[in-house]
Amino acid sequence: MTHRYVIRRLLQVVPTVIGIVLVAFVLIHAAPGDPVLALAGEHGDAAYYDFMRHRFGLDQSLPRQMLTFLTRIVTGDFGFSYVQGRSTILVIAERIPATALLGATALVIALVVSVPLGAMAAKHPDSARDGVISSVALTLFSAPAFWLAQLAILCFALGLRLFPVQGMTTAGADRAGVAHAIDVARHLALPALALAAQEIAVLVRLIRSGLIDELARDHIRTARAKGVGELSVLVRHAFPRALVPALTVVGTRIGHLIAGAAVVEVVFGWPGMGRLLMTALQTRDTPVLLGLFIVVSSSVVVVNLISDLVHATIDPRVRVG
Amino acid sequence: MTRSPHRILASLGAISVFGFLTGCARDAVTPRGNTLVAAITSDPGHLNPAITTNGGVHTASDLLYDGLISLGDDLVPKPALAERWTVEDGGARYRFTLRRGVKWHDGQPFTSADVKFSFDSVLLRFHSRTRASLAPVLLRIEAPDDTTVVFQFKRPYAPLLAQLDVVEAPIIPRHLYAGTDPLKNPRNMTPVGTGPFRFGSYAHGTEIRYGRNASYFGTAPSLDGVVLRVIPDAGTQVAALEAGEVDWLFGVPGPDRVRLRTLANIRLHQSSVSPGGSNCVSTVGFNLDRPVFRDLRVRQAVAHALDRGQFVERVTFGEGRLADAPISSAIAFAHADHLAMPAFDTLRADSMLTAAGWHRSGATIREAVRVKGVKDGTPLVITFKVMTSMAPYGELLRAQLKRVGIDLTVVALEPVVFAQSVFTARDFDMSIAPYCQGSDPQIGVQRMYASSSIAPVPFSNMAGYRNATMDSLFDRAGSALDIEERRRVYRQIQELAVRDQPYVWLVETTNTRAYSTRCHGFGVAAHFAATASCTP
Repeated sequence: MTHRYVIRRLLQVVPTVIGIVLVAFVLIHAAPGDPVLALAGEHGDAAYYDFMRHRFGLDQSLPRQMLTFLTRIVTGDFGFSYVQGRSTILVIAERIPATALLGATALVIALVVSVPLGAMAAKHPDSARDGVISSVALTLFSAPAFWLAQLAILCFALGLRLFPVQGMTTAGADRAGVAHAIDVARHLALPALALAAQEIAVLVRLIRSGLIDELARDHIRTARAKGVGELSVLVRHAFPRALVPALTVVGTRIGHLIAGAAVVEVVFGWPGMGRLLMTALQTRDTPVLLGLFIVVSSSVVVVNLISDLVHATIDPRVRVG
Repeated sequence: MTRSPHRILASLGAISVFGFLTGCARDAVTPRGNTLVAAITSDPGHLNPAITTNGGVHTASDLLYDGLISLGDDLVPKPALAERWTVEDGGARYRFTLRRGVKWHDGQPFTSADVKFSFDSVLLRFHSRTRASLAPVLLRIEAPDDTTVVFQFKRPYAPLLAQLDVVEAPIIPRHLYAGTDPLKNPRNMTPVGTGPFRFGSYAHGTEIRYGRNASYFGTAPSLDGVVLRVIPDAGTQVAALEAGEVDWLFGVPGPDRVRLRTLANIRLHQSSVSPGGSNCVSTVGFNLDRPVFRDLRVRQAVAHALDRGQFVERVTFGEGRLADAPISSAIAFAHADHLAMPAFDTLRADSMLTAAGWHRSGATIREAVRVKGVKDGTPLVITFKVMTSMAPYGELLRAQLKRVGIDLTVVALEPVVFAQSVFTARDFDMSIAPYCQGSDPQIGVQRMYASSSIAPVPFSNMAGYRNATMDSLFDRAGSALDIEERRRVYRQIQELAVRDQPYVWLVETTNTRAYSTRCHGFGVAAHFAATASCTP
């Protein structure tokens, strides 16, 4: 049953992504800004711009361009980047690992930090501790990612010199194995923290409210009456149900995470998809933009599926199928 | 089953703790020896400077290539791949003698066939600036033997030597590009040139590495290598320089310059030369298709209402100088001294606007009274379109013009939208552009004034200015070989421009390079690292 469910959900990805790509195609072409002007820059002449438009097929009607694009997509041909002259798939694929590492680390940090903080706040609602934690969560939620990122550079990289300012590895260094992993970890710390901040804020508030509801339920009262220790009550009886909404939200936050990654990647010079997205937007590199939309929308659907499966694993009452 | 989440969380926690412990471990900046690390703002995407005028690509790839000649800060042509040249047939033919023994980085010999191929098959097709300026006047290029190249023009053409450096006309290897699509050739990612540095590696979005070319035909570089590090955010670039992670920045934001000047381990240097555009002048343009700006008095009133010195103080933070002529002072032979530029005089601006029919009747903003093509009572509200990077100019203009009763609505647009809105659709009243005038007025100045440049092309004749005298003066300047004759004609051009006032010239902008004191000996933009060295 589960296998069939997974296959069915994966097949649902196809029409979803096609819909998103069609809307994105129309929006990109409706938006002002000519890719040829962006690419060719100044000093050209009208003949040059016509020549470049013809090369990229931009002199064709929009429906024809869309048809050509869809025909190519079906055969797995995402076209060539206007700017780089390379396969769009290659251009995007080489950026995925960096964003995946950054996003996954931010999520891990968010989970590791928000679960105990949420529990501490929920244990004594409306206490001073709860007030402090909730205020910090609200502050993090309100702070823009680019501001937090710059603050992190000023404090931890320039001030305390604990972390590097930018990049994914040390400039010009040829490290391998463990030394390379440590180098990447050092560079990853600040961008991951900056990206995790808003996720921490969301999750702390969710876990807090979920646990407060859960701790007031009958089965918790029964467990306490039977003499189960407070830690065990919290961890074994309250957490599994309180975490369910949080995990569901994690699935839906993947889109936000990628959007946040774009800003964080620009500030920290992290070579991921978010930065590629910003560059492709500025240069109107349509094939790369559409390719990124396909990758990101597919990721959101797949992560939501994973989140549903994890949901079912944690909560035995939930059955997929 | 219920224990699984705890195990997962415990594992995640362990990974995070590992990450942070390793992250927090203090690590001095890795010694880089005699390798220069320079920050660039964007990933160039490819490393073929012959197919684009994009400044990012040229910054990243010019170190690998050469032109027939090179240009210093003084814009005087010096031998590069061409050892010497002669101008024949009254300036209609240029004969270049190439250096012997020059080799491409892969060991193949460089010959005149490479030059002919680079122009005929790549530069004159894909390099927008070279194509637009040379294609209409060039008859043919000949390579009669391995070391001779002849450019034959339809008529005398004076500015050629200013268009043959590595930025305007980099020479690429025929043996690797012939028979291929130059836009998609894999060698665009693993380039082979003749320049002072060889290609090392290219990690997209991260960095590009270069090694020294020990057999360079000029003076071999002192540096062992160069790393161009992609750091998009200007603030992060400055932080990276301060932290010692990079050695060289191509530009520094205004507020940071003041602070960097106080640091002992950092030096600053001003330059008007950049691979993306040299000798730029921030220039306000009037849309002469609009009835309000057809009246010369209104254009002159705007010019008198502007305290242009404030733009140098408050917008560029002292970087650059007040423009005192339409042609940049960096193009010394053509720049006109002591021109009668409009002085800051708000009383005169007030009276000129009133004389033009724009009256103040108690209201803060002037209104039209019997202005040709404008309905009576129309307020003097001007739409000012500006690229986001130049928005501070718009804010200061708005404040200054308000004093004389002009209401400026500033619309900030990203560059591609700006180009389309202002130059293609011509949907603006006033605008501002960083016109980069290059090494010769025929390349970067003529396009602002020639009636043939009123076209849907970015950074062309924004004003839509037409004047037959101006057109013929540029034709004369373009075909005159005598430098004194050209100087005289360019003076006339500038006097006419100031008289007709299609533009207001605000600031000759420069870029501030910032570099670590561990490195020194930097050159001009294209081969900036060729003469540099760094102490470990």
